[in-house]
Amino acid sequence: MPRITFDNVRKSFGKSIVIEGFSADIADGEFLVLLGPSGCGKSTMLRMIAGLTDTSGGDISFDGESVNALEPRERNIAFVFQSYALYPHMSVLDNIAFPLIMDRFKPWYHLPILNSIVRRIIRNSPEVKDRVLDVAKILELEPLLDRRPRTLSGGQRQRVAVARALVRDPEVYLLDEPLSNLDAKLRTQMRAEITGLYRKVKKTFIYVTHDQVEAMTMASRIIVMDDGVIRQIGTPEEIYHSPEDTFVARFIGSPPMNLIPGRVLSDRVILPGLQELKMKNLPSVSAEQTLVGVRPEKIRIASSANGSVLATVVSVENLGAETVLGFMFCNDEKSDSLLTRDNQNTYFAKLDGSVSLVEGDEVFLTIDSAAIRWFDSESGLTIHQTS
Amino acid sequence: MNRTGRRSGKLVSRVLLSVFIVVASFPIYWMFNTSLASDSELFGSGQKFLPQLQRLNEVPQNLAEVEILKLLGNSAFIATGVTVLSFILAVMAAYALSRFKFHGKGIAGFFLFSTQMMPEALLVVPLFALFAGFGLLNDLSGLVLANTAFTMPVAVFIMKTAIDKIPYEIEESAKVDGCSPYGQLGMIVIPLILPSLAAAAVINFFDGWNEFLFANSFITDQDLWPASVGLAQFMGQYSTPLSTVMAAALVFTLPAIAFFLLVQRQIISGLTAGAVKG
Repeated sequence: MPRITFDNVRKSFGKSIVIEGFSADIADGEFLVLLGPSGCGKSTMLRMIAGLTDTSGGDISFDGESVNALEPRERNIAFVFQSYALYPHMSVLDNIAFPLIMDRFKPWYHLPILNSIVRRIIRNSPEVKDRVLDVAKILELEPLLDRRPRTLSGGQRQRVAVARALVRDPEVYLLDEPLSNLDAKLRTQMRAEITGLYRKVKKTFIYVTHDQVEAMTMASRIIVMDDGVIRQIGTPEEIYHSPEDTFVARFIGSPPMNLIPGRVLSDRVILPGLQELKMKNLPSVSAEQTLVGVRPEKIRIASSANGSVLATVVSVENLGAETVLGFMFCNDEKSDSLLTRDNQNTYFAKLDGSVSLVEGDEVFLTIDSAAIRWFDSESGLTIHQTS
Repeated sequence: MNRTGRRSGKLVSRVLLSVFIVVASFPIYWMFNTSLASDSELFGSGQKFLPQLQRLNEVPQNLAEVEILKLLGNSAFIATGVTVLSFILAVMAAYALSRFKFHGKGIAGFFLFSTQMMPEALLVVPLFALFAGFGLLNDLSGLVLANTAFTMPVAVFIMKTAIDKIPYEIEESAKVDGCSPYGQLGMIVIPLILPSLAAAAVINFFDGWNEFLFANSFITDQDLWPASVGLAQFMGQYSTPLSTVMAAALVFTLPAIAFFLLVQRQIISGLTAGAVKG
């Protein structure tokens, strides 16, 4: 299995730069997710790995060998398209068998009439047919083999697309938002199936998505991209708990990480509304202004004012197992104007179970100081604590 | 109320369609009717409205005189040649214009369609000189070339429009699966644009089948006349065997109708439904 290396890969369409200085390593058998918002260049990156789009600069190599000049077929990859891209005029069986038929296809088979005869002979050869049936069995497609794609449901079409990728046993699987056209229930099911497939085939998977849940649940490593550049590379845990910058912090998590403006003093931090929070291990920052990054689940309701901050409840969303509480800091001058969730001074806490609070209530909240990430408010980059 | 409205709407549309069909097919009926009429009726007592089927056995005899099979054979050669040559050239040109990026693509498209901007008659003299130079006068393949030049751009336009509608991912998927560009064209694109290919084939075939102007100008050898020219020659200065000409004209339309019926089954849409998520 190849190790995939990107060395300063660039891509531009005319004057618009889509990918800039992309350098990373993908290990053997890794499930790597390229995660980012729409238009960040992640699909372009995947297409460059496949050879469907040329690079404008830099080098993509498999096991140290540059593949920039190789055709998609020569890279031994499989590509699952967001739109499935099944061959509509072929049966499910022919769709799955197509890569195997192409493996055995000679140039002179393209002659009219001979073409369809040869394709039928190859498809019916025991070697090809057995392989197709094996894959169809794995993906439970056996009853559908004679059907045309247009008669299949979205989930079934997706399965056929995966089967077509699986049948040739490629070294690398490239999946471009394969679940984005499915409904929520089917997406969860297919997510589990793709993860199961990954464990079974033990090959390198590169998966593009803008859905953080897919990234967090499936990936062994995530590359977070924005505007054509890598923001962070890490395991789902690292990405979630130790975001490198405010973009990653805000992109991952639902609700996202709270970024509260704070002024760091020697033993405490001053939060909006001049509320003080005493804590140890404060970062040594040259600028006084920092952003205090705290995940919503690290904020809890306190029983007393001691060591807590006073907040006004802006919204209460009871989700059954948990409640998402929107709040503002009391006395925060900037928050007086509008008490809406869109207000940038609204922060969120994720609490277990349900709470008996309503909008407008005042409540004491504690913040788990050990879980705080500090960011420079100017650059947005994380501030590493020195102590 | 609604149901009644729908029913009467259906009835009206059926009546209108029936009227249209009668009007459109009447000339063919009249051709058939005339082919069974006697000269005395045609030029004297007046043609009867109903065909005189008892004269049907005289038709083959009349047609034998005009060597209809030879004429039809020549027409078939031109029509088939134009259809096949146009198909091969047009499908590749349409694919290139639809999918490839190259300098001068716009100009290439413009030149292709510029042939449609002038009447064929305008080119008879220059083509005559050209054909004389290449020894293509009195040669049916010359007519195939001339007609292909005029009909191919129409076929290119029809096919390009159809290829433009095919999602690009389907070909990319074939590319990943190891399909060569010719394979993508032959195994993926062509089967998906069959309805448009059929439409283009009908247009090209009819164009070749109806060829008259160039054949009349470039073919002097009677043995090489297509049916269109052959039939026209019966219109004499002193007499025209109208019933024989009509019988021959009727036979002349049959292969074209047969060809249309053969390909019309392909002229269905919606073949690409389900290829990609809609």
